[in-house]
Amino acid sequence: MDSSLHEVWQAASGRPFVPTIGKDSQFFVAFTLLLIGLLLSGAFALNRSFASIPVLGVPASLAIAFGVVYMFCAVGVYV
Amino acid sequence: MKTSAVFSAALSLVALVSPSAAKSTTALLTPPQVFKNTNLVHVISVEKNYVKENVNVLIENISKEPQDEYYLPFTADQVSRLGGVEVKDRKDASAGPFSTQTVELDPESDTLYLRIQLPTPLKAGVQQTLGITYYFLDAYKPLPASIKQDDIQFLAYSFSAYLPSAYATLKQKTEVKFPSSTIPDYTRLPGSGDVKEFPQKQGSKLTYGPFTEQPAGAVEPVQVRFEFNKPVTHISELQRDIEVSHWGGNVAFEERYTLYHHGANLSSLFNRVKWTQANYYNPTTHALKELKFPLRIGSADPYYTDVIGNVSTSRFRSNKREALLEIKPRYPIFGGWKYPFTIGWNSDAKNFVRATASGGYVLNVPFLEGPKQVEGVEYENVRVRVVLPEGAENVKYHTTIPEISITDASVVIHQTFLDTIGRTALIIKARNLVDDFRERELVVSYDLPLAARLRKPLVVFGSALVVFVSTWVLGSLDFSFSSKRK
Repeated sequence: MDSSLHEVWQAASGRPFVPTIGKDSQFFVAFTLLLIGLLLSGAFALNRSFASIPVLGVPASLAIAFGVVYMFCAVGVYV
Repeated sequence: MKTSAVFSAALSLVALVSPSAAKSTTALLTPPQVFKNTNLVHVISVEKNYVKENVNVLIENISKEPQDEYYLPFTADQVSRLGGVEVKDRKDASAGPFSTQTVELDPESDTLYLRIQLPTPLKAGVQQTLGITYYFLDAYKPLPASIKQDDIQFLAYSFSAYLPSAYATLKQKTEVKFPSSTIPDYTRLPGSGDVKEFPQKQGSKLTYGPFTEQPAGAVEPVQVRFEFNKPVTHISELQRDIEVSHWGGNVAFEERYTLYHHGANLSSLFNRVKWTQANYYNPTTHALKELKFPLRIGSADPYYTDVIGNVSTSRFRSNKREALLEIKPRYPIFGGWKYPFTIGWNSDAKNFVRATASGGYVLNVPFLEGPKQVEGVEYENVRVRVVLPEGAENVKYHTTIPEISITDASVVIHQTFLDTIGRTALIIKARNLVDDFRERELVVSYDLPLAARLRKPLVVFGSALVVFVSTWVLGSLDFSFSSKRK
């Protein structure tokens, strides 16, 4: 038990936690990112070369990564 | 054979000797007589389905040394049902709640003591006014023990007209407050002074006393029986989960209740037709038919389920002024019946989480947010689990729930969706709480490094990249049959 925490809470009154993407736009962002990821994956599938990995694979992975996290949140499983 | 006979004879001798030995040690194992209670007012409130007792006592240090420990005795059975103990200085509110602890002075005695630590030792001959508040759960006995579905329920409560005290008490009185003025039976005691008989009845209040000087440990058992045509709601287990999501900007609440009605049992089988009819002409009943949960403003997406599945008899009013969840159990709950159920809801993280100046985060949630009923609700075991984001560290907490009610606090790992190492979870266990402690706050502070914050997308990114690289590697392998032999 740390009795000073109430003061910590009071001191932080001007800094409520606001997420980067609000709840209302989570589905749109997630859907867009997953769509971009899917399209880039499709493009990678058509041109499977080593150069395509940094050009298409990495951006696709990034889009899928953030898209998956936000899609989890958008459907109500707040991870 | 001979040896065993000698041994049993020796044992019986020990048994004969030990009571006297125990008696002599008991005398040493009681609190030192360093205080006297100059004036004591004991207020017992049986208005709700738990007992709230308030003791206002003017204590005086009668020893020659300063003293800082005051003892209040309870039986072992009472201690198992005792909760929410808070002690304050009645004349100095700034002194804050005093530290309390249950101690056993004599292992062979049924009496345990509540040791109250005075913040500053009381000098010899000096007086101080203590305000001691505590609750007893499961305190009543329905009398009669079984009644008809449309009968009125009566409860009985036994206590001592003198407050059991470890010290001599010069003057005291006990007031008992009831939910209504219908008190058909109560123990009568011979009066003193101008009063011929105790208690004196004024509306819904009985007053035993004022009594003259009583020695330490004096008791006078009395019983009261009163009308209580409301449910005696007892929650044997409440599991409350609070899940913080930084990615989703959400705090999710889920509460799993195991609820019992500890009132009078039904003397005959439940009659659904009679119940429906009675609801039209006589809405007051001792059965539990509705629970109201006033949630924090901004709560959303409520759900209410039980072992069968979703229960559709609920209503949620949410606007700028309130967020009230009203639920109706699947069946009315009568005495001796059980109803386990689950409720849950979401809220924006900005209502509960703030960023600190040092780069960490602080969460402030109510410790309890259970139903708010006119008749009150009592909680036997409460387990609050605060699930913080994955990788949260340096977890500290503070709660305004009485410290004596908290039985255990630990930080564990809880694994759920999209986790790799699992989320940091703070588990606090408490015992014997009542709905008076609704809205008592629980503040949790934690740090969340950047690497931990990005763990989830990084894991998915890594997995996706592995798929792309594997596709390229497998795609570049030549599995075709060699044409050299042709």
